[in-house]
Amino acid sequence: MTSERVGASPPRVGGHQRVTGHQRYVADIRLPNELHAKLVKLPVARARIIGIDTSAAQGIPGVKLVMTAADLPQPVPRFGPQFEDRPVLAVDETKYDGDAVALVAADTKDAAEEAAGLVKVSYEELPAVFTIALALDPAAPLVQDPQLRPGDPLGDTNVLREHRVGWGDVDAAPADLVIENRYTFPIVTHFAIEPHAFMAAPDGDGIAVWSSIQHPYWLQRVLAQVLALPLAKVRVFAPDPGGAFGGKQHAKYEPLVAFAALKAGRPVRLTLSLEETFQAARRTAAEIRVRTGLSSAGRLTFQDIEANYLIGAYADIADRVTGKGSYPGCGPYRLPAARIVARSVLSHTPPATAMRGFGNPEVNWAVESNLTEAALALGIDPLELRLRNLAGKGEAFIPFDTPADGEWEQTVRRAAELVGWETTKPPGHGRGIAIGIKSGPTTGLSYSMVRLLADGSAIVYAGTSDMGQGARTILAQIAGDELGAPLDEVTVVMGDTAVVPYDQQTSASRSSVLMGNAVLQACREIQAKLRDMAAKLHGVSQEAIVVERGVVRLADQELRIREILRSGLGRLGGELIGIGESRKEDDPGHPLGGSAAFFEFNCTAIEAEVDRETGDIRILRHVTVSDVGKALNPLQVRMQDEGAAIMGLGHTLMEHYIFDDSGRIRNLGAIDYRIPTSLDLPVELRSEMVENSDGPGPYGAKGMSEGALLCVAPAVAAAVRDATGVAIRDLPLTPERVWRALQEAAT
Amino acid sequence: MTKLLPIELTVNGSARSLDVAPHHTLLDVLRDELGLTGTKECCLVGECGACTVRLNGRIVDSCLVLAVEADGGEVATIEGLAPPGHLSRLQQSFLDEGAVQCGYCTPGQVLAADDLLRRNPRPTVAEIQEGLAGNLCRCACYEQITQAVLATSRAASDDL
Amino acid sequence: MRSFAYERPATLPDAVALLDRHGAGARVLAGGTDLIIRLRDGTCRATLIVDVKRIPELLPKIEVADELLRIGAGTVMADIASDVRVGRHFPALAEAAAVVGSVQIRNRATLAGNVCNASPAADTLPPLLIYGASVVAMGPAGLRRIALDDLLARSGTTTLRRGEVVTAIELPLPIGRVGATHVRRTRRSGHDLASVTLAVAIDDAGVTRLAYGSVGPRPLLVVDHTGAFADPHAPEAALQEVFDSMFAEARPSPRSMRAGPEYRLAMLRVLARRARQAALDRLWES
Repeated sequence: MTSERVGASPPRVGGHQRVTGHQRYVADIRLPNELHAKLVKLPVARARIIGIDTSAAQGIPGVKLVMTAADLPQPVPRFGPQFEDRPVLAVDETKYDGDAVALVAADTKDAAEEAAGLVKVSYEELPAVFTIALALDPAAPLVQDPQLRPGDPLGDTNVLREHRVGWGDVDAAPADLVIENRYTFPIVTHFAIEPHAFMAAPDGDGIAVWSSIQHPYWLQRVLAQVLALPLAKVRVFAPDPGGAFGGKQHAKYEPLVAFAALKAGRPVRLTLSLEETFQAARRTAAEIRVRTGLSSAGRLTFQDIEANYLIGAYADIADRVTGKGSYPGCGPYRLPAARIVARSVLSHTPPATAMRGFGNPEVNWAVESNLTEAALALGIDPLELRLRNLAGKGEAFIPFDTPADGEWEQTVRRAAELVGWETTKPPGHGRGIAIGIKSGPTTGLSYSMVRLLADGSAIVYAGTSDMGQGARTILAQIAGDELGAPLDEVTVVMGDTAVVPYDQQTSASRSSVLMGNAVLQACREIQAKLRDMAAKLHGVSQEAIVVERGVVRLADQELRIREILRSGLGRLGGELIGIGESRKEDDPGHPLGGSAAFFEFNCTAIEAEVDRETGDIRILRHVTVSDVGKALNPLQVRMQDEGAAIMGLGHTLMEHYIFDDSGRIRNLGAIDYRIPTSLDLPVELRSEMVENSDGPGPYGAKGMSEGALLCVAPAVAAAVRDATGVAIRDLPLTPERVWRALQEAAT
Repeated sequence: MTKLLPIELTVNGSARSLDVAPHHTLLDVLRDELGLTGTKECCLVGECGACTVRLNGRIVDSCLVLAVEADGGEVATIEGLAPPGHLSRLQQSFLDEGAVQCGYCTPGQVLAADDLLRRNPRPTVAEIQEGLAGNLCRCACYEQITQAVLATSRAASDDL
Repeated sequence: MRSFAYERPATLPDAVALLDRHGAGARVLAGGTDLIIRLRDGTCRATLIVDVKRIPELLPKIEVADELLRIGAGTVMADIASDVRVGRHFPALAEAAAVVGSVQIRNRATLAGNVCNASPAADTLPPLLIYGASVVAMGPAGLRRIALDDLLARSGTTTLRRGEVVTAIELPLPIGRVGATHVRRTRRSGHDLASVTLAVAIDDAGVTRLAYGSVGPRPLLVVDHTGAFADPHAPEAALQEVFDSMFAEARPSPRSMRAGPEYRLAMLRVLARRARQAALDRLWES
């Protein structure tokens, strides 16, 4: 069916269940005999735990378990994707507002809640560092136990790691103009509408764990390690998450819930409240100093970037965010000299983790804003300045790394055209444009298995997580296309490590490319078997047969796959099985462990007006154009781009954590943490994609879904600058901040 | 132990009798006692709309309604919007227009959109955005959701 | 949520008796859009919830009688916002009721509840103040009518006595022509709590009643009899003087998460200016 083929936009696989309320997320799954868990947390940012009295809690009827660090194996196991720094439960010290000290499990939610309130923790509040300045102060308390980093020269500081990338000689670079500014990017959080949810149950001599996790196999590994179980005895179920955006990539409370289930001998479920999700996962904040050098003709001569990323008390994957996010920070431009110093700064705040854009939006905010300043200072159109420096396809804009992999100028010009860049601006309107780039995965491994069943229907096994981006659909489209099965005859099985072969992770917009290629390969293996089958059936040689896109082509006839199967499987029946493997090996010599498989490239252009009296920004036109290679499902691509664009408006206009003087978060929850609603949309939102089939994925696809978020902030700020003459360098651009900037400029 | 109170209510057309704790919300009871997990739990402060249900003819955030308050009332949830195996025109439009990504907010959005169309069969874009402003979507399908509502309203008026 | 007992009295005397008996241990439940949140976060520790929604005197009802618009305590914001009589006589109230929150909230939240919750940022309070609203309450000592301005004490506190429950809100029908409007400042265009909320009514005698909230412990009503505010040709200096006098008691909290004090004070004037223009336009159209 052409309407289902790759490149078409058939309805989402799994859409029916979602629209009828039958889709089951972790919190909807009930297990017999389950216990309900509640976390016990302290009302401070940081504390020394003196003692925990669980007696009153244990006395509540229905309470079956009150677990503290003392009830865990000693020393308490630690885990973490980069550093094994995070204890299963806080040991001796809570390090951020929300760090759990105990878990209560009871027959009912009420009993668990009541008992959790009765766990008496005696503690001493300790001073917390929760900003870059506080954390870098030489007198600051160390967030991380120095014993975790023996021999590390930075071990006596709160700098977890420093990443240095550069080329050329920045200090000797000539420049007719140098623009230097400091920018800040706030702490924001994912706020998926599904709060994190976890369940664990003893499973024979092993354990079964359900989680809203994006990386089931990574979680399986962590659990096997902390529980000292073989991988084969750890089964992770990963139902499609209700949104994740990076916040559900890595283990949070699964190890704790697993220990609780094993101790209690019963299933234990823990669903975080929305407030607890804010305490569990967030984006890295950053302070970035950028010094940009240009010739008077508008050619970039150097970029000198210092980016301090504020990460949480436990590293999670945040240091990777710092390193990988800052690496392409200079942007997709021809640049003779660059120096990027990026630091992960530990703090007594909730763990920073991956979030859509993975460290790029922060540096992009600074570097693109600085480019706009440079354009204005030189009297060159900001669009023209960017085009003048933009790397052409095939150019290594980061020396010795993946060259530019798209006709990027096409994307930029299209965005400019759509926003009406060359047209006369109505009075009071401002326009801004910015470019965003992000490296795709640097390593990867995806296996897929596809089974073509006797009637021509197919089952695809893929360990990717479909968290809303539509992975199920495009993988079904690929298999359906290759095997000639309509979509409603393709089942995609995901989210069960006991049944689905290994997939490294769902992140970095990789799955269309990596898992897509694995599925494609599996289908090709099946096609080879069909060729063999057809050859035997028709007494011809294999070379004379072509199998492609559901059709078996012989010299004199064309048959549908299912016809071959019907005859070819014979009396024993059976099925054809194909395995695909998509691998990108790591490169230990590379600063990121590997070059980018592809780039996500986006150009965002904004037209806005500003109410000078109130500071309100009204976005009249928001244009976003992405270079996607091939849209396997154009509707889904558009939805991802528009969704990313609007999410970008969140940190641009309204989202930020507000702390009190002691490091506690004041605006947990939905009332005082504002995200865009249906009433906060641009008057006009236009998204388009550029497709040149020049990506490494199936049919020339590149990964996408983060690009449209990357440069929203600098584009909006540039429009505000254009409308008002005022540059603002801190996010979010709340009405109050804009107003204040206008007031200060007027004096 | 909390004293349980008996309530009678109609849920998706079926009469139900339950004993509920006074402090349990309608959301709690729908999900935990009646197994109707289509209605979702998220913010619990009436901001996100994931828990939207229809109560006595109006949409409400079920996290802010005690179950006892629904005594004698009629509740419709996402599961009751169309007969099993069928989709309402609105639900079909959500699929056709791509208004479903992760799907977690979808039941609430559909209930809110259904309510809007009952009150205002030919809404403008602005009216749709206002009518659904109590339903957060972090995947930000807002434009597609608006299109789904418009498509439904157009199709319905084509029928007349 | 902690557990509590729940009563749903069928009569007003029963409700009053319950509230009187339990005092601060009992809370009235109408729409629940504030109370349920506070029960869940522990800021309200009531042990008895008294659901007043089925009491005949409190049933949702909007009626005009005796030169008054009477709004039954159980009347929800959605119905107030769409009521033709409210829209005609008290447009600022209709406007405020329409922005109190989402459709889901407006279908439950009652005007009486908004009043009794006495949040300084409650959007309906400034319009009620400019329209001279009174609250009718029944208590152990009988029926009382309390001018709204006398009912509001400070954030979260009214002057209702033990055992008293609001049965209705009354607004005297305007005499003569009035131009009125409600405006507010929020952090985003989507539904939000107000960082400044303001209502203005200008009558054809040139008297201005202006009320503002979220800039102090309770909304404040100021009246300008000088006519300066209502004078479309008033020189800027005169207008500033009126603003100075009107906003002299504004005390925005320095600790607020929603907006800083300097911004709030500045926005008071911006909103007052815009509301003034809108109110004058409406006065001339009426």
